[in-house]
Amino acid sequence: MTEQAEWLHTQIETLASQQAQFTNRAFWLALDKLVAEQDRRNDQLQGEVDGRSWRPDRW
Amino acid sequence: MKTLVLVSHPRLADSTSQQFLKASLPPQNVTWEHLESQQKFDVDREQDQLRQADRIILQFPLYWYAAPAGLKQWEDDVLTRTFVYGDHRFPLADKELGIVVTTGMPEKAFQRGGAEGLTLDAALAPLAAVAARAHVRWLPTFPIYQFAYLEEPEKLQLVVDYQRYLTQAQPDSLEQRQSWFAHKLPAMIDQLPPEQQATGRLIQAEFDQQKDDIEALADTLAMIKEQEDD
Repeated sequence: MTEQAEWLHTQIETLASQQAQFTNRAFWLALDKLVAEQDRRNDQLQGEVDGRSWRPDRW
Repeated sequence: MKTLVLVSHPRLADSTSQQFLKASLPPQNVTWEHLESQQKFDVDREQDQLRQADRIILQFPLYWYAAPAGLKQWEDDVLTRTFVYGDHRFPLADKELGIVVTTGMPEKAFQRGGAEGLTLDAALAPLAAVAARAHVRWLPTFPIYQFAYLEEPEKLQLVVDYQRYLTQAQPDSLEQRQSWFAHKLPAMIDQLPPEQQATGRLIQAEFDQQKDDIEALADTLAMIKEQEDD
């Protein structure tokens, strides 16, 4: 996890813990999971871009 | 998107799962109706509700590998042959049909060789056949296994998964999930107490940035793949 993602996770977790209503807490916690998924997908896409760009046969 | 939720349960007040789901309903664009609380179905009204909905949800506990009798009664009374397909107008065509089904047995029971010995898809085949006849798009089902055993984190997750099942565009991809949250975020931030709103807006800005970054990377990747094809 990047530092930025770590920071975002902490912010969302704190905000979620401050919500009195169950459904509101649920929303922020679910957003936290989605942000983690975004971070993973970002990593994977970046990796694939790097991997596909590495074409020694076209040097 | 307008969603119609039809709940079939013979003892709704005693059902903790159904009460939980009712409390989890999204605040807008959802009509909720309990079938067994109607002595006799107003067929015109029921059919009209179906016509107006974009997504229809049938929600019930699984009783002997099927929906409770109340749902079958509703089908027999409301889904008349002429209405569904008889006059070739197909008023339900291209709508979506989702099934929210609660079970007393765990997920692993619903497979060949499992304690129940059949999949939920197999048990729900008659409803899927009705959907096909009506030219309605069948959505992947939303099963809730053993609600009584769920711990708080699972229940919190269930609230939003259920809301998304009712209102999020299909298929359930990262892209659609991001759009759903992006659409909900402004109102959720407005609901926060004033001292938390700045944090809410920061979170939204970061979330939007991540979303844009992913889109940009996906575009780059598509371009690379296109060149590789040459």
